[in-house]
Amino acid sequence: MVTITKRAFAALATASLLPLAFGGFDAAFAKDKVKIAFVGPLTGALSPHGIGGRNSAELAVKLMNADPNTKYDYELVVLDDECKPNIGVQVVTKIASDRSIVAAVPHYCSATAIATVDIFNRFKLPMVVWAAVLPEITYANKFPEVHRVSGILIGQNRIGAEFMKARGYKKFVSFVDSTDYGKSMNKYFTQFTLENGNDILGTFSVPPDQQDLSAELTKIKELNPEVIYFGGLTPLGARLRTQMAKFGINAQFEGNSGIMGDAFINAAGPELTEGTVTFFDSPPITKMPGGKMFTNAYKAAGYSEPPEAYGPFAFIATNLVMETIEKVGPDRAKITEDLGNVKDRPSVVGPITFDDHGQNITPLTTKYVVQDGKWVVWEDSEYAAGKRKLKNLP
Amino acid sequence: MTAPSPQNKPVAVWPLITAVAFAAAALATLVLIDNQKILGLALAGIAAICLAAARFGGVAATEAAASENPWLLRGLILIAAVAVLFVLRDDNFGLLMVATVLIYATVCIGLTIQMGYAGLTNFAAAAFVGTGGYTAAMLGQKGGLPDALVLLGGGLVAVFIGSLLILPVLRTRGHYAALTTLAFGVLFNVFLDANELLGGPQGLKIPGINLFGWNFSNDLHILGFTFSFYVNYVILTGVLTALAMILAGLLDKSWIGVWLDVVRLDETAASVFGLRIGTWKILAFTLGNFLAGLMGAVYAKMTGFIAPANFTFGDSLVMVSIVILGGIGNRWGVLPAALIVVLLPEKLQFIQEYRLLLYAILVIIILIARPDGLVARRVRALRMETR
Amino acid sequence: MGMIGQHLLNGMMQGTIYGLVAMGFTIFFGVMNVIKFSHGDVLTLGAFGGLVAVWATHSLGLSVPMQFVAAFAAAMLLSAVAGAGISHFLIMPLRNAPPLNMLLMTMMVGTVLREAIRLFFPNGTNPQRFPELLPSGGFNIGSSFFRTDALILIVAGIASIGVVYWIINRTKFGLAMRAVAEDVETARTMGINFARVIPLTFALGSITAGFAGTIYGLYYSEINYGMGLLLAVIGFTAAIVGGLGNIWGAIVGGYLFAGLQTFVVAAIPSMSDYKNVFAFVLIIMLITWRPTGLLAERGSERV
Repeated sequence: MVTITKRAFAALATASLLPLAFGGFDAAFAKDKVKIAFVGPLTGALSPHGIGGRNSAELAVKLMNADPNTKYDYELVVLDDECKPNIGVQVVTKIASDRSIVAAVPHYCSATAIATVDIFNRFKLPMVVWAAVLPEITYANKFPEVHRVSGILIGQNRIGAEFMKARGYKKFVSFVDSTDYGKSMNKYFTQFTLENGNDILGTFSVPPDQQDLSAELTKIKELNPEVIYFGGLTPLGARLRTQMAKFGINAQFEGNSGIMGDAFINAAGPELTEGTVTFFDSPPITKMPGGKMFTNAYKAAGYSEPPEAYGPFAFIATNLVMETIEKVGPDRAKITEDLGNVKDRPSVVGPITFDDHGQNITPLTTKYVVQDGKWVVWEDSEYAAGKRKLKNLP
Repeated sequence: MTAPSPQNKPVAVWPLITAVAFAAAALATLVLIDNQKILGLALAGIAAICLAAARFGGVAATEAAASENPWLLRGLILIAAVAVLFVLRDDNFGLLMVATVLIYATVCIGLTIQMGYAGLTNFAAAAFVGTGGYTAAMLGQKGGLPDALVLLGGGLVAVFIGSLLILPVLRTRGHYAALTTLAFGVLFNVFLDANELLGGPQGLKIPGINLFGWNFSNDLHILGFTFSFYVNYVILTGVLTALAMILAGLLDKSWIGVWLDVVRLDETAASVFGLRIGTWKILAFTLGNFLAGLMGAVYAKMTGFIAPANFTFGDSLVMVSIVILGGIGNRWGVLPAALIVVLLPEKLQFIQEYRLLLYAILVIIILIARPDGLVARRVRALRMETR
Repeated sequence: MGMIGQHLLNGMMQGTIYGLVAMGFTIFFGVMNVIKFSHGDVLTLGAFGGLVAVWATHSLGLSVPMQFVAAFAAAMLLSAVAGAGISHFLIMPLRNAPPLNMLLMTMMVGTVLREAIRLFFPNGTNPQRFPELLPSGGFNIGSSFFRTDALILIVAGIASIGVVYWIINRTKFGLAMRAVAEDVETARTMGINFARVIPLTFALGSITAGFAGTIYGLYYSEINYGMGLLLAVIGFTAAIVGGLGNIWGAIVGGYLFAGLQTFVVAAIPSMSDYKNVFAFVLIIMLITWRPTGLLAERGSERV
C-alpha cells in the first residue's frame, strides 16, 4: 500500500511538472543515470531511524529528479547494514566496488561507520555520513572521502552540562546503554559535568534491550539524584522514563540526540515526558529556510513512517551529494575534491562547513524541552519564561 | 589416471565432470547476478536442474563416480575453483562474499564434527569464531608475531576457552547442553560489550594478513590480468575449507567416525563396547572449536574490523541453521547451505526492510520441504571388503 | 541495606513473568518433546492484541475494569489461536524430524511473528505505550516502596500458575494431556483424541504467554516488538535449569534467574554491565552440577 501511494505521488508530481518540462522533453529523456547509495539500518531495533533516513534520502532524489533543469537522472541504491560492522563492511564493499555508484550517504551506527571508513578510502568512494555521531569516524583518520553532516556528540554534552549548571543542578546520575554510543555519551557527559564542578553519584550501563530496570532504579532511588542523565536511544529511554515514574523517582530527566523525536514522547506519554530537556544538533527544521518545504514534501510523499530526528540530515546529505554531482559531474575523484570545499552551504539544519577532516563544524546545537507533548526550543518555552518549572530545581 | 575399479564394471566419469562444472557455473552466476528478475530465473533454473538430476539418477551416478575417482574429483574441484576465480577476478564484492561463504562453511564443518558426528550441541559457534577474531586482533596489536602464528593462535585460544566448557558439555545432553552453550554465547557477547580492554562495543581495527611476505592487501597481477586483493583471501579460505573437508572426511571414514556414530546414537552401547565416550566427545568438541577460532581469525583479518555485534547469539544460530539446512552430519551439505544462508540476505537487499521476514519464511519452507536437509546424510554403508 | 525488601519485590515481579514463560516451555516439552522457541514472540503477539483491545474498548467508552478484562481476554485468545495454529501447521508436520530442526523451525516462526509485528503494526518498530489500567501509586514500608499494581499483578500471576497446575492435575483434559505425554500410542489405544489434545495443549501453553504479555504491558506500561526474544531466552533457561517437563521446576527456575539478576545489581552496582555474565556463568555451573535440572524431569530421559 505504501509503495502504491508513493508511486501515485511520483506520478502526480511528474504529471504536474509535465507542462513545464514540455519544452525540454527530449533533453529530459537524454539525461544520464547516476547512482548514489544510501546505507542505514532497515531491520532491527534501530530501523525507525534507518527507514526515516531512507525515506528522506529518497525524497531528496525524487525532488531532484522532478526538476527539469538538472543534468542527471538520479537513482538511489538502498542497502541495509543492520547496524553490524561486518554487514556494514559487506555492503560498503558492494557499493564501493560497483563503479556505477559515484557517492554514498551511509550509516546511522557509529561502530559500523568506524569499520567502513577504510573501505571508502581504499576504493576512493566519496561519502557523507548522515547520522552517526562518534568523533572517531571523522577524526581517527584523515580520509578525503569521508564527510559528515551530523555533529559529533561532544558539542551536545558540553552545552548540556553548561545548561544544567546554569539551572543550579549539582547531583547527577548517569544512565547509559552499553553500546558504543552510550559509552561515548557517558565519557563526555562525565568530563563536562566534572569540569563544571558537579557531582556524579553513580553510573549505570545496561544493554539496550534490557526490559526491567527495577534493580538499577532501586539503587538510583537510594542515591537520590537531582538529575538523571540518559545517554542512549529512544526504546531504552522511554523504558527508563516510564519505570522511573513507577518507582516514584522524581528527578529531572536529561537526554540528548538519541531520544530526540516524537517516538520518545509517544512511547512514554506526554505527562511523563513533560519537562524533559535534551540537546540536539539542529534547530527545529520548520523554522529554517526550506524546512517547511521538507516537512510538507515528506507528508505529501505519503510515507507512513516519520523522518525521525536524523531524517533531515539524510535529506541534506543526499542533496549535498547531488548538488556536487551537478557541479562536477559523476566522477568519484572530482566529487571527493569538491565536497572538501563545502563552506557555509545553507541547509534545513543550518549552514554546513566541512573542516579538514570532513566534519561539519557548524552544527546549531539547540536546547529542547518537552512541553504539552511536543519538543519546544528552550528559549521559546514556558519553562524559560518562568511559567513552568523543571523538576527538583534547587 | 584413475585407479581401476575393484568391480568389473567401470563407472562413467562424465556425470561427475558435468556436476562440478554445473556447480562452478551456478556459483559464479549466483554471485555475479544482481538483477532480481534474472536472479529469480537463475535460481529456478538451478533448482530445476538439481531436481531433474536427482529424479533421473544423476546424483547417484555423480556420487558413484566421485567415490570411485577421488583424485579426479579433487582435480576437477581445483580446476573449477581456478575458473571461478578467473571469472570473478575483479569483482571485489563477489570475492568477499565467496570468501565469507567459505569461512562460514569451514566453521560449519567444525560444527558438523561436533553436532553431526559426535552428537554434541553447540549454540555458541559465533563465540568461538569471535574468540579467534579477538585473539588475532590482540596478537596483532602487540605485533611481532608472524601472521601464520596469529591465525593458529586464534584456533588455539578458542580451544582453550572451549576447554572451560568441557565439563558442562560432557555432563549434559540434548536441550540441557543447548542451554549451556547458549548461555555461554550470550555471556561471551555481554562480556565483550562490557570489557574496555577488548575495545568495548566500539570494536577493534585489524590489519590484513601478511603470510610469509605475501601481503593479502595488494591486488595481484598475473599474466596481464589484475586480480582483486580479495582473491588472496578466497585462495586462503578455499585451502582451509578443503583441508577441513578432508579432515572431516578422514574422520568420518575411519574407525573414529564409527565410534563417534556409536557415541551419538547410543551411549549405553558405546560404554558396553568399552568406548571412552568422554575422550571422543572432547576430541570432536576441540576440533570444532579449533576450526571456528581459526576461521574467526581469518574473518577478522579479512574484514579488518571486529566488534561484539558480529558475534551474537543470532550469528551462532545462523551457523547452526547452515548445518541443519545442509543436512546434519553430511559435510558436503554445508557448502550449498552456507551459500544460501550467507548470500540470500545479501541478494534480498532490494526488498529492504522486508528482508528478514522473507528470509525466515524461506527457511521455514526449506525445513518443511526437506526435513533432512538439502543433502541428507547417508546411512553408513556396510562394505564387505575382501582383501 | 534497607533496600532488600525493595529488591525482593522487584525480583518477585520479574520472577513471576519469567516463571509464566518458562511454564509454557515446560508444557510444550512435557507433552510433545519440543522446544517451541517462538513462545516469546507469541507472548509479544498477545501483548499487542491486548493493547489493541484496550484501544478499542477505550474508544467505545467502556469503563476501565472492562478495558482491563478485554485486554486479558484478547491477549489470551490471540495467543491461544496463534499457539494452536503454529502447532497444527508447523510443528506437527515436523514432529518426527530431529529436535534441532524443530528448534530452528520455531526460532524462524518467532522471527516471522516478530518481523510481522514490526512491519505491519502501525508504527510497530517504536515502543508502544501500554495504558495504565491499575491504580497507580503505592505505600512505603520502611524504606521500601510497594507498588499497588505490582502487588496485584504478582498475585494474578501466581494465581494463574495455580490455575494451570489445577488444569493439568485435576481435570479430564489434563489427564489426557499427561497420558499423551507418557506414551502417545497407549494414550491413543485408550481412546484419547490425540489430534485434539495436542492443539489444545499448545493453546493452553500459549494462553499463559498471552497472560504474561498483558501482565508485562501493565507492569512496564510499555511493550515493543522485540521484547519476546530475550524473554524466550530467559524462559528457556529457567525451564531448563528447573528441569524440563516439571512445572514446579519452571517456576523455581524463573524466580532463580530473576533473583540472580537482581542480586548482581544490588550487590555490586558498578558491575551492572556484567550482570548477565554473572547470571549465565552461575547458570552454567548449576547445570553442570545438576545436568537434568534442579528438580529432575519426570519420566525417562527425553531428547
